[in-house]
Amino acid sequence: MPEPTKTEKGGTSTNWDAKQFAIRYGFLIVMAALYLMFSILEPAFLTWSNQFSILLGIAIYGILALGVTFTLVVDGLDLSIGSVAALSVMISSYCMVVLEQGAVISVIICLLLGALVGLLNGLLIVKMKIPDLLTTLGMMFLIQGLQLIPSAGRTISEGMLMEDGEEALGFFDPSFLYLGQGRLFGVIPIPVIVMLVIALLVYIVLDHTRWGRVMYAIGGNPEATRLAGAPVNLYRIMAYVISGTIASIGGVLLVARVGVGDITSGTGLLLDAVGAALIGFAVFGVRRPNPFGTLVGAIFIGVLLSGLTMLSLPYYTQDFIKGGVLVLSLMFTFALAKRS
Amino acid sequence: MNPIVEVQQISKSFGATQALRGVSFSFFSGEIFALVGANGAGKSTLIKIICGYYEDYEGEIRIEGQRVRFHSPQDSFRQGIRTVHQIIDQGVVPTMSIAENLALNELLDPATGLRYRRQHIRTRAQEIAEPMGLTFTNWDLPVSDLSQSDRQLISIARSLVGEPKLLILDEPTSSLSTRETDRLFEKLDQLRSQGVAIVYVSHRLHEIELLADRAGVVRDGLKSADLTRPVKSQDLVRAMVGEIDTTPHDHPHAVQAGKVRLELKNLIVRPGDPPLNLQLRAGEIVGLTGLIGAGKSELAEILYGMREPVSGEILLDGQPLKPESISSAIDKGVHLVPEDRSNRAVIPQFSVNQNLSLPFLRSFCQFALLKPRKEQQEADRMVRDLGVKCQGIHALIGSLSGGNQQKVVVARWLQRKFRVLLLDEPFQGVDIKSRHDIIQYLRDQLHDEVVLVLAADLDEILEVADRVLVLNRGRLMGEQNRNSIDRTQLLDWISTTETQFAHA
Repeated sequence: MPEPTKTEKGGTSTNWDAKQFAIRYGFLIVMAALYLMFSILEPAFLTWSNQFSILLGIAIYGILALGVTFTLVVDGLDLSIGSVAALSVMISSYCMVVLEQGAVISVIICLLLGALVGLLNGLLIVKMKIPDLLTTLGMMFLIQGLQLIPSAGRTISEGMLMEDGEEALGFFDPSFLYLGQGRLFGVIPIPVIVMLVIALLVYIVLDHTRWGRVMYAIGGNPEATRLAGAPVNLYRIMAYVISGTIASIGGVLLVARVGVGDITSGTGLLLDAVGAALIGFAVFGVRRPNPFGTLVGAIFIGVLLSGLTMLSLPYYTQDFIKGGVLVLSLMFTFALAKRS
Repeated sequence: MNPIVEVQQISKSFGATQALRGVSFSFFSGEIFALVGANGAGKSTLIKIICGYYEDYEGEIRIEGQRVRFHSPQDSFRQGIRTVHQIIDQGVVPTMSIAENLALNELLDPATGLRYRRQHIRTRAQEIAEPMGLTFTNWDLPVSDLSQSDRQLISIARSLVGEPKLLILDEPTSSLSTRETDRLFEKLDQLRSQGVAIVYVSHRLHEIELLADRAGVVRDGLKSADLTRPVKSQDLVRAMVGEIDTTPHDHPHAVQAGKVRLELKNLIVRPGDPPLNLQLRAGEIVGLTGLIGAGKSELAEILYGMREPVSGEILLDGQPLKPESISSAIDKGVHLVPEDRSNRAVIPQFSVNQNLSLPFLRSFCQFALLKPRKEQQEADRMVRDLGVKCQGIHALIGSLSGGNQQKVVVARWLQRKFRVLLLDEPFQGVDIKSRHDIIQYLRDQLHDEVVLVLAADLDEILEVADRVLVLNRGRLMGEQNRNSIDRTQLLDWISTTETQFAHA
């Protein structure tokens, strides 16, 4: 390594070791330790079936979290993802059950709607200059309300009675339900595969293409990025479009898993997803949104909840645990790394 | 006379790096003491120690002979040390009124009670503004409506409350126009005669010549000079960098006026400005100087596709140049190194090589996939050629000194072929050594391109330019070749006022 250069602010590279190591690998070490502990305390934890059930449990919000990572990268935040997923749940059910449409067209409609909401978010933020949190918060309420309208506020299931008293004749196509309930080789749940594929794609886009590089640059200094010739507004809009589209994929998988257009299905998704993405900041101490961290963050929550549940932790403490993990990892990321 | 504040044998290290090595200075009442040093020399560290930001230093600080030790900036403040920061807007609350800003400490003091006493605040504000000779017609105006210079004078006035022992001004003129600078100097003169001890930190040597009673130079963590009036900039420079001579000198790059590459024809930059006519030739470095508001940056913005001219034409190699966006300007070979490095050029979370490649990512890609080796190879080359001091190309840009960051920013735009390179205030906050390196590199690389340097500082312009143009309120006042520079004439052109236009 070349000789350390002097900086006016100070700070050298010599007393790395312990602190740098802690910042970089601390989170992964904690995760490994937890994993080990659960495996010892509860042998059922380490079974293959439990591994997949953990992954299946996190797949939906893991997918949403990967989408919201894009908006975090451009220094924004999309709070509407949970309700976009819920909208996608209701619209796909409505299309299939009430409108008697096929699976493919229903899914396409959902994805387009997700992209449209993202586009709207992006335009409001970029063109009207409404702060991102406010825009997406407003959009969240709007869509939460919107998703109730087609079914008049009722849950959509096969054979339900409609407003006019007739029975709905549409049904969830088995190939559609396979998306949520099927397992590849009878082992790996399809939603898990979808999550991993999306994670891989997001990783490639953000870390290995110029699009990702420009997005990170925008998150770092939008004005400098603009002066370097990048269409900053277009990229920011795209981040929200991607986030919305990925959120609607999450929604589609959710209906396919439960086979019912449940009006309450979106609850909690937003916080879980944003939480996972924020926990991801701590992974490898990078202190910025990153797809690998997001995935690890989601898995971490899954492992923790699964392990604690097996050790008979009451279900109502789950949100408390999740919140605690999030706050702790943020403290870890920002406090510890700043001091270095 | 005894010094009011002294620092003695101050040493400070950050890990293995020794930032200061036994530096001693004395500050006297009624004196302006200029603290000078290249970027990274240790002057900021010294200032921070005096202000109480660092506890773990060696040596001692004495105030009126009493030994003191600060554990926090509040400690230092209580002992009568005041700092006015380089970034003016950190010193004021833009949304609050002039009166509220002046009386801010009063407002924040729990002893004044909960009630907002408007008249009292006003009275206090006037008392506080008085020593600076500041008056306002409307004290209820929000500070955001004021000029930079007014904002700065307000924070200086506030810092004078409670008769401070020492007033530290960190690069106070870096965002002021020349006229505003003159106004500041008048006020500082006034404060000096009232007996305030002032430490004045600046890169601008002519200001120090003009203002300072004494000057201390730090170089590489050591005190390298303690000069008294008259402070000569040659002496300062010699103490700062030793080997470099800033006086204009002949350089091997003899100006061979090539063919015309960039031509402005009746270009009106802003509504109300007179038309500009100008020809820039292949291979020349043209310096464009003028006060803030002269229209320099606006001209650069037009060439770089950020703004449309009112009317007129720009020809690049005989072809009309009408960039409708920044990226189209870049495609046409117009590159811009913007003013204000940290806010407008550097991506702080990026490494040196990521900062370098940003505008030309497409050329490091195949199907949008980045090719890391190609990117690193280029970065290595640029870092080596420009002599950027860093811990390798993967070091975060923020770990570099200001001068080295600027080298990276300039290198960013030199790594690809260009036809016109615009440098807007490229040497702000850049130490002389780095400035010299950058200029040298520019000269070495230049073949038939056009380089246009915009800067308010005449010394900088004279060092870099083959030809100097002066812009005054959008009007091209005249030009001089580097081998026939008449400083008085240039200053005249720069400072001519509106009324004099009418007689011209």
